[in-house]
Amino acid sequence: MSIRRIVLRLVNVVRRGTAERDLAREIASHLGMLEDGFRQRGMTAAEARRAARLALGGVEQTKERQRDARSFVWLDDARRDLAHSARLLRRSPAFALTAVLSLAIGIGANTAIFTVANALLFRDPPGVGEPDRLVDIGVSREFGGFNPGSYPMYLDVRERATTLTDVYARVMFPHAKSFAPPGTSRSVERAFAFEVTTNYFTALRATPSAGRLFDESDGDRGPVAVVSHRFWTRRFNKDPDIVGRTVRVNGQPFVVAGVASEGFQGTGVVAPDLWLPLTVTAGASGARSSLTDRSGGWLIMGGRLEPGVLLPQAAAEVDAIGRALNQEYPASGSRGLRLLRASRVPGNDTVIAVFASVMMIIVSLVLIVACANLAGILLARAAARRREIAVRLAMGAGRARLVRQLLTETVVLFAIGGVAGVVFARVMTSVLVPLLPSPPFPIDVTLALDGRVMLFTIVLSFLAAVLSGLAPALQASRADVVASLNDTVPRRFGRTRLRGAFVVTQIAFSLLLVVTAGLFVRALRQAGSVDPGFDPRGVELASLDLSMAGYTDTTGPRFASDLLDRVRQLGDVQTATLAVVVPGGFEGIGNGVAVPGVTAPDGQRFFNQYWNMVAPGYFATLRIPFVDGRDFTVSENADAERVAIVSEHFARRFWPERNAVGQFILRGVPGPRGVDLPPEPLRVVGVVRDVKSSSLIDGLAESFVYVPFAQRYMPLVTIVARTTRGQRIGDELRALVASMNPGLPVVKSETLDDSMALGLVSQRVAASISGSLGTVGLVLAAIGIYGMAMYMVARRTREIGIRIALGAQRRAIVTMVLRQALWLAVIGSTIGLALAAAASHALSGFLFGVAPLDPPAFIGATVLFAIATLAACYVPVRRATSVDPAVALRHD
Amino acid sequence: MPSEAPKRREKVELLQGTLDLIVLRALSTMGPQHAYALAARLEQVADHPLTLNQGTLYPALVRLEQKGWIRSAWQKTENNRDAKYYAITKAGQRALGQQTERWRRLAGLVDKLLLGES
Repeated sequence: MSIRRIVLRLVNVVRRGTAERDLAREIASHLGMLEDGFRQRGMTAAEARRAARLALGGVEQTKERQRDARSFVWLDDARRDLAHSARLLRRSPAFALTAVLSLAIGIGANTAIFTVANALLFRDPPGVGEPDRLVDIGVSREFGGFNPGSYPMYLDVRERATTLTDVYARVMFPHAKSFAPPGTSRSVERAFAFEVTTNYFTALRATPSAGRLFDESDGDRGPVAVVSHRFWTRRFNKDPDIVGRTVRVNGQPFVVAGVASEGFQGTGVVAPDLWLPLTVTAGASGARSSLTDRSGGWLIMGGRLEPGVLLPQAAAEVDAIGRALNQEYPASGSRGLRLLRASRVPGNDTVIAVFASVMMIIVSLVLIVACANLAGILLARAAARRREIAVRLAMGAGRARLVRQLLTETVVLFAIGGVAGVVFARVMTSVLVPLLPSPPFPIDVTLALDGRVMLFTIVLSFLAAVLSGLAPALQASRADVVASLNDTVPRRFGRTRLRGAFVVTQIAFSLLLVVTAGLFVRALRQAGSVDPGFDPRGVELASLDLSMAGYTDTTGPRFASDLLDRVRQLGDVQTATLAVVVPGGFEGIGNGVAVPGVTAPDGQRFFNQYWNMVAPGYFATLRIPFVDGRDFTVSENADAERVAIVSEHFARRFWPERNAVGQFILRGVPGPRGVDLPPEPLRVVGVVRDVKSSSLIDGLAESFVYVPFAQRYMPLVTIVARTTRGQRIGDELRALVASMNPGLPVVKSETLDDSMALGLVSQRVAASISGSLGTVGLVLAAIGIYGMAMYMVARRTREIGIRIALGAQRRAIVTMVLRQALWLAVIGSTIGLALAAAASHALSGFLFGVAPLDPPAFIGATVLFAIATLAACYVPVRRATSVDPAVALRHD
Repeated sequence: MPSEAPKRREKVELLQGTLDLIVLRALSTMGPQHAYALAARLEQVADHPLTLNQGTLYPALVRLEQKGWIRSAWQKTENNRDAKYYAITKAGQRALGQQTERWRRLAGLVDKLLLGES
């Protein structure tokens, strides 16, 4: 077809009126001439009229064929269908509102989840050049993902990797630092500094928005800082003169080199205020040799693939480097290295993806329920319009044309639903996000409605529209012309059965949702009631970084001991202690341990082991019972014999037949490459019960080795205080610390309960989302049952009238209506419960040992649905029993 | 009746090419004509006047006009009736030449084939 014709046809779609009038005039003239001719041959006027129409072949058919050639009929039709649909929807606002609302919830919930997944998994980090060539590297975890590694490890990877350029490292979590703006020396403000290697900005191809970004030419000791665009805007009002000025961070001076570009926050979700070279801060903190300690886990490494190198090649090389390092430094415990594509949540992509998929499935259920509900209503509406459709079919309307028109109505509904859904998604994310417990550092995840999200929503809406609109449209267009026009209502089992199938679908999927919600709620309660091995209630935590006030390995322990004495004297404190690792958190200290006479499975002498450094009274404060032996004493300090307390799990593993107390273990002391320093022997003085720590999710107990804080000092330490009546004493602790050293801020203050809540985020989110959506599903299912029952009553009004006229009991009528609804409910519930049983098995990893067929969740949901079904049938039953035979039998 | 739709379409499609040619030819030899006159001419040409409704002409007229081969204008007939007159354009004349040539060749080929077979 030539361009000219296409254009002309398109023009005719738009200027329909003119062409239509012209055509009508032309055909009228044509008919006139035909009539003239026939009359001249002696026909009467009436005969001539008829003959003229016959000769032309039908006025409407002729017009239709001319239109076909004149313009794009489908386009023209679509326009008319749209107008028609809009009119229909305006005429039944209750239907339109229910439909749009349920769709908005379904589509909105899906969009919201996808927005979050998109932000965490797919969106490119702003201000980073060629992000798809970047990788993250860490210490591999057993079940996928990785943990942070140490600085010497970073140096080794950097030196050995041939498939990577620009290998850099950054801390995993930024810590709050005291901050003094230019011109002052008193550090009263807090700022979050992200410590990185000096090649960080070069590796990410970042550009400054003022000044310059530090790079390797600044050297390991260059005290330079880069300020984030946000902090620059918020704190310095975009003052360009900040470049070159000196700020103090933890009392240490840094020259501001420049400001990062707007939105730049590296590849992760952490949005720091400033970036500092980690070689400078680590050197100054007095932290025990964090730049030489191989056992530490505080750095996430990263790099850029060399041109032409594929990810698997680089991953294989990094894996080989990890194994070589294990051979060379056995004392640090056996740990491999893993390389993954760079992500916003390094090492946790899989976890996020799995959780997002689970949530996606949950929210898809509500969309399915909404679609089934709508399909049911559309089917009923199509039944009501049966006559109109039959008339149109009789007049020669094409079936495809009718299906298209009926589908248009659905598509209009879904378009409105989709738009409302996007709005709803915005509301939902803004309500949901603040509910989440916030990590102790600023994060910025831009939950943008970018093209990907929009495309997702559009495709989803369209798909849902076609899915729920196609069946009703096809059914409707199959109307039996003769029967419909004669208005004898045929018993069309097909349609009723299809409608029933939609109601069953709704019940099944919303029951599945409600059961899932029930399971998550039960899991949360279970997590609360499961014995974690310690008592988290009524425990106040206050975290300090002693290096912030300049304490060293020698002054630090003394200050800590003084502080602990003062805390214990506070009126509200029952018991108090210090600990480096608090159970329920995410950070851990890993180091090799050797037990004389036992060899690790890989033939190495050292096992990888989690450690904690605690002050005396730790076990009493957290109410961790002793199985054997005793607690540390105050006199077990740096000058005394090295001692340790092990967890029950550890004792059983290494001395299954013997008493652990009195045995010796060896703490690996990594030295320079290939040369282990002599391991440190520790005498076991006690055995304590296992605690469920960071792995609350899988409910496994980890084995721990505890050593006295006084014998192994760490600058990051937490005050752990049990109060007499569970009261909060965060302010008192803050005041106490400030009174002892005004330059030492409390980095984090919370209760142990709160700190553990972070580990339950996924369950909490899942419970609240599936719970609220389950409620929506339940309501929709009830509407579905109601609609179905009403439809049935309406169709059988005459039959009911006859029955009543013949003396049927009220009860019989009630039973008649209820039987069908209950039958659907039973089928739907059975399917739903079966699905839920399968789902709960799949979800068991998230459920803390709540039995997959947890009776309260399953029975509770079933009872809820039974009540909903009965409630939904109330009005239809009333309608049926109040049928007046006299009216019903005359009913046309 | 909807069931007859495919048959009808087949007939129209078969006719389309020939119909265009016949219309162009009629306009070229007879000068500007309205649809009624063209239909009458068509019935003269065809052996069976009932094989096609006069309305069949309309899609062909629109198509030809959109191709730029004919143009139309409202005029009075000799009986003082309003009618839309179609006239062939220069492009239409050219197209008629080409189409006629093509048809001749095609018809010759078919003839040869049919003769060869019998």
